[in-house]
Amino acid sequence: MFLYNIRIGLKSLRRNPVLTALLIGAIALGICVSTSFIALRRIFEKDPLPGKSQNLFYVRLDNWDPTRAYNADDPKSLPNMITYRDMRALMKSDIPTRQSGMYVARMFAHPDPKIGRPFSVNIRMAFSDFFPMFDIPFRYGSGWDKAADAKPEQVIVIDEAMNQKMFGGGNSVGRTIRLDERNYKIVGVIGNWKPAFRYYDITSGGGGAPEGVFMPFNFTPVLQMNTAANSDGWKGQAEPTYESFLDSEQTWIEYWAELPTTAKQQAFRDYATNYIRDQKKLGRFPRPLHIEVKSMPDLFTEFQVVPPTIKSMSVVSLLFLIVCSLNLVGLLLGKFLARIPEVSVRRALGASRFQVFWQHVVECELVGIVGGALGLLLSIGVLQLIAKSIPQNQVRIGLDGEMVFVSIFLSLVAGLLAGIYPSWRVCSVAPAMQLKVQ
Amino acid sequence: MPIGPIIRAMKHNRTRFALIILEIAITLAIVTNCVNMILAQRAQMVKTSGFDDDNLLYMIATPFAPEFKETPYVENVVNADVRAIRAIPGVKTATVTGFLPWQGGGSSGSFKTEGYPDKFQAQFYAARGDLVGTLGGKISHGRAFRENDTPVDPDTSTTVTIISSGLAKKLWGDKDPIGRVITTGDGDRPRTVVGVIDKFYNPYAWKIEELVLFTPGRSYDGGGSTYLIRTEPGAAKAVAQQLEPALVKVNAGRVFRLLTIPEVKANLFSSNMLVIRAMSAVIVVLVFITALGILGITSLAVSERTKQIGTRRALGATKNDILKHFLTENWIVTTIGLILGVIATYALNYFLVSQLTDTKMPWYLVGVGMVLLWLNGLVATIPPALRAASVSPAIATRTV
Repeated sequence: MFLYNIRIGLKSLRRNPVLTALLIGAIALGICVSTSFIALRRIFEKDPLPGKSQNLFYVRLDNWDPTRAYNADDPKSLPNMITYRDMRALMKSDIPTRQSGMYVARMFAHPDPKIGRPFSVNIRMAFSDFFPMFDIPFRYGSGWDKAADAKPEQVIVIDEAMNQKMFGGGNSVGRTIRLDERNYKIVGVIGNWKPAFRYYDITSGGGGAPEGVFMPFNFTPVLQMNTAANSDGWKGQAEPTYESFLDSEQTWIEYWAELPTTAKQQAFRDYATNYIRDQKKLGRFPRPLHIEVKSMPDLFTEFQVVPPTIKSMSVVSLLFLIVCSLNLVGLLLGKFLARIPEVSVRRALGASRFQVFWQHVVECELVGIVGGALGLLLSIGVLQLIAKSIPQNQVRIGLDGEMVFVSIFLSLVAGLLAGIYPSWRVCSVAPAMQLKVQ
Repeated sequence: MPIGPIIRAMKHNRTRFALIILEIAITLAIVTNCVNMILAQRAQMVKTSGFDDDNLLYMIATPFAPEFKETPYVENVVNADVRAIRAIPGVKTATVTGFLPWQGGGSSGSFKTEGYPDKFQAQFYAARGDLVGTLGGKISHGRAFRENDTPVDPDTSTTVTIISSGLAKKLWGDKDPIGRVITTGDGDRPRTVVGVIDKFYNPYAWKIEELVLFTPGRSYDGGGSTYLIRTEPGAAKAVAQQLEPALVKVNAGRVFRLLTIPEVKANLFSSNMLVIRAMSAVIVVLVFITALGILGITSLAVSERTKQIGTRRALGATKNDILKHFLTENWIVTTIGLILGVIATYALNYFLVSQLTDTKMPWYLVGVGMVLLWLNGLVATIPPALRAASVSPAIATRTV
């Protein structure tokens, strides 16, 4: 019976190709617009570390100017990052199951002169916990260990693009890369890892791809390195030396801690609070005691990882789909009502009201499915256009399986909603009425 | 035109008109809110920097050769670079500065001055040479930097500064800013104001986009150097091609990255452009779809009522009467839809503002939207109405 309905539906749709094209076009446009914007929103909204992100905490401490908050307009604001010395102090705690201070630096990679000229690369300086903490997948090798952290050993982890550029791909674990003046041994090559944004680097905006190289943090004092990202301060350093810079109130380090239980979270907050109380005795932290230990999802909300305009656009796009559906209702109504004579004959010959209703709903769903599929294809194109219009875009903007599912679901709902009323109208025709007129 | 019969006729087709009304209402809500979003995005983009943006180039030289660790070596290379850049035909002026207009940030510091109660935050850049001339700005008070302004070591010596008129106004109102002294937040490193730039705008957080201090000095980080270059009008492209070869000839131990200011600006505003394009496309497609919907529904109404139309014609109604009937009918429907649409518009706007920090809806936008959709409805009704008007009176005598 179902197949029969489909056959009748197709037949009816073929009878009036222009109207059918309009019906399908309306759904396709609605699905295309709504799918594109919802997909765009989901790219930012999707939890980068499902089941884990709520255990990862970003820590901020208010070491700012006693006379003025970090953002002068908001007395509750505090610096986005922490100082080098405070990070060192927090890292002494054994409460977090994993933890890492980090920042981004820039160095020159020197490939084989036959391959190319030196080029500058972004390097994330981090501790060994970084890789398991943020679930970084490896193609070859792994991250370095705690011994390499402590020493620090001249080891690095590189990503696939860097591996391609330096060695043309392949397992390059054990090979070395010269960065500035030293050679570093590769211990791991990161595999298929293309997060929509650098979810561990939200305070800098997080836009763009992850860094190409990861290096033990403890090279910082050894090589007297500086951050290539933001660095905010309010107080000059005591001496014009690098040691004095590391000791200063300059905030430039991002610090994450994995705190899987509420007990640990509370213990860590207490630890940080006690640390600041001690520091206050030394004359530091002149502002009222203020620390923020915020989970990754809460941090995303605070820093508006989902741009508000994209949220607005996704709301608007759903309304757009509703307009398309309303349009469909009108067109289907006309189409079905024109068929009343035919339907009343079928009713007179014994078709039940439900059978007629079901037959028409199936026809509407056919339109929904075909239109939805078309809309889905169109939205792939639209998303590619969007991806191209963002300069230096590294994010893979596209549809995932879940989004395809959402989109098909939307088109079925649109087809159903648009079809119910016209189908009901047409099935409630009295069998004899039309026979008399004819 | 008697409205009574039209309304009575409409009552027979309530669903159909309800559909059009709803469609128009939602369309108005979407279109006006989209335009509102577009205007909000545009508002950020239409500000002007006060500089000769189109003819500015920015060259970043990053060294890898170890010699660049020695300051005198860097000095020599930078001086040679500037000479080489200025020698390129089409170059008007060039300066060594870390200031890149339209970067969407830059560097800033906290400062103090007498006469202003608090510390204040302002953008802060070092520059060497004719910075204001290179930007294409104007000095409204005082003077530009002179060659001998450049201190040997900007960290220790007293020096001069050029500030923006916005900063002068914030600090001292209408009083003469020349000769006043600005220090760092700690009260160190006094800088005497020698000049004021007429207009300065560079997007920055903390609402300091119009506040700036320029000091004469070097701005090379780790031996790198950055050059701002102003070309003769239209020569930017030609100059851009010659820059890297000229600088490689000076010293090959570095890599170069060239930016044009229009590129930097496009990059900064890429998300605004994206919203504008997407929303414009949504508006166009939506208005088109609504028009199609009205056209479709009215066409069906016409073909269903062919017999009645024929009868009316046979009873003496002119073609014009029929045309007017359908246009009036549509006018009534559109107007009801638009009135509902105004409510929907503000409801959606309220939702967007409360949830998503959008801007409030100005009333004139709603007016413009209403006129647009009203015309849209009219245009969509004309073809089926014309078809209705051309129904022959003889139809009434056939069938039945």
